[in-house]
Amino acid sequence: MRYLGIIIGVIVLIAVANAFYVLNETEQVIITQFGKPVGDPVVTPGLKVKTPFIQKVNRFDKRFLEWDGDPNQLPTKDKRFIWVNTYARWRISDPLLYFQRLRDERGAQTRLDDILDGETRNAIAKYDVVEVVRSTNREPELGGMLEEDQVILEAIEAGREIIHREILANAQARTTDLGIEILDLQFKRINYVDEVERKVFERMIAERKRIADRFRSEGEGEASRIRGEKDRELLRIQSEAYKTAEEIRGRADAGATNIYAAAYDRSADTRSFYVFLKTMETYPVALDEKSTLVLTTEGDFYRFLTDADGGR
Amino acid sequence: MNGNVQGGGGPQIPEIRLPNLSPRLIARLAVVLLVVIVVFTSFYTVGPEESGLVLRFGQYVRSTDPGLNFKLPLGVERVMKVPIQRQLKEEFGFRTATSGVRSTYSQRSFAEEANILTGDLNAAVVEWVVQYRVVDPYKYLFRVRNVEETFRDMSEAVMRAIIGDRTVNEVLTVGRAEIALQAEVDLQELCDQYETGIKVEQVVLQDVNPPDPVKPSFNEVNEAQQQRSTLINEAQSEYNKVIPRARGEALQTIQEAEGYALDRVNRARGDSARFVALYEAYRRAPEVTRRRIYLETMNEILPKVERKIVVDGDLEGVLPLLDLSGAVKGGDQ
Repeated sequence: MRYLGIIIGVIVLIAVANAFYVLNETEQVIITQFGKPVGDPVVTPGLKVKTPFIQKVNRFDKRFLEWDGDPNQLPTKDKRFIWVNTYARWRISDPLLYFQRLRDERGAQTRLDDILDGETRNAIAKYDVVEVVRSTNREPELGGMLEEDQVILEAIEAGREIIHREILANAQARTTDLGIEILDLQFKRINYVDEVERKVFERMIAERKRIADRFRSEGEGEASRIRGEKDRELLRIQSEAYKTAEEIRGRADAGATNIYAAAYDRSADTRSFYVFLKTMETYPVALDEKSTLVLTTEGDFYRFLTDADGGR
Repeated sequence: MNGNVQGGGGPQIPEIRLPNLSPRLIARLAVVLLVVIVVFTSFYTVGPEESGLVLRFGQYVRSTDPGLNFKLPLGVERVMKVPIQRQLKEEFGFRTATSGVRSTYSQRSFAEEANILTGDLNAAVVEWVVQYRVVDPYKYLFRVRNVEETFRDMSEAVMRAIIGDRTVNEVLTVGRAEIALQAEVDLQELCDQYETGIKVEQVVLQDVNPPDPVKPSFNEVNEAQQQRSTLINEAQSEYNKVIPRARGEALQTIQEAEGYALDRVNRARGDSARFVALYEAYRRAPEVTRRRIYLETMNEILPKVERKIVVDGDLEGVLPLLDLSGAVKGGDQ
């Protein structure tokens, strides 16, 4: 009897323990009775009661859950292959439906893979690469850039944001009957596949080379210009100096000539005096010991040699 | 009552460990043990940078501040601590292996993370850091599963969207600060949308580089730029070497001409003044002065000339008699 009491006590204790369950902040629960869902989903946290043994607690996450897309090589409309890696956030919005359709998260992830990868593929194929990369038709900032670097970006019609919204909308439509709500989908990474990347790098290198060449030729051109300017400037300075000097000399010569004329050309008398004076000044210079002088006694100087009266 | 259910397993353990003691002693020991467990599970400390979130049967009931705090024992209330004051950070494109005065960085390549397409369909390698803080611990703990992973995904998506809208040159040069600011704003928006309870404090762009295969040609551009400056500077220095000197020389030429001009005019003035003075004197006695000057000149030149021939004025035809060649010869000797 005493042992029976203990056994009953233990059974009651286990039953009571089984009637309670703790529901965490992050969880929601579907109660099933022999596998069949009963009642509404329990979504508020705390200590909860159920029928022991008969009812089973199926816990589901209440939080935003992650979905990480498989990086995939996808062709764009302009036939370029890019790696696209997407991620999405989703949550179990209708646990009952979710439980019925997908059973657990593994099932959900698989379905999400199908839906989201498919929608992503569809959307990417509808647009050019540039539409996937850019979000807006924002004007690039050009301040202080090299001429070659001031590129105008190709205009887009849709853009990244619209494309991932489109994928999201299409996917959302397909997941409502799964009890899943997709909150957001974003392109995490978009990269070129290797061979495209190599081409892009080649193009970038060629572009840089072009700029480098321009710099070099600009340098040479500018140096030549400066050298030419130097030569021109040199000739200008020298010739201008020559011109100015000769002008000054000419004016001085003219001035001197005027001064001489003013003094010597006053009358017939001054003219003859000047001629006489200048001639006299010239004789000592023109004649030296090697000269031979033939003079007649009729000349002014020797006339007294023959006549004391000078021949008069 | 609920406490009994939770604590039910506790007192059973000593029953097994001490089988040969009397039931009374076992009961007493069980009570003592229960009291000890109750006491030790009814308080907890919250660190200075943390906030404690108390859950009663899994349900959030209150937050507690740093210091010693009390809770219902025996697992009725549990505490989760979130470091709300600490600045957390996520690195993209690189990882700090050990941080310190001289941090070392993981040598592994995170090219996947850092390679980003730009709006002009070029590529850039961008490394960045996001610093953030948990401001809403409730949301941080209970709204999103795997917050950190989510946060990383968000950061990457935001950064790629922003860089995808810029040219590679903007990303590499002028756009850096603006990109970081924009990323901060966009990332915060996304954080709020996802109810992460995270406040983005700062987005810092670290190294922003062209992709490795392209790097040398970017350097070449810099070199060419240097070369251009060098060539121009050389030409300029040559110019500077020649032109100022030429200017000086030109001034010299002009000064010399001016000197000549002064000389010439002054001499002319002097000459004419002398002449005028002489003439004034001459006018008073022209005949005598003329003769005097003539004779003085003769006086000066006649002694110098060695060969002088004086012929009578009446004699005619004297020239044919002169042996001019001999005379010249004699003069030569």
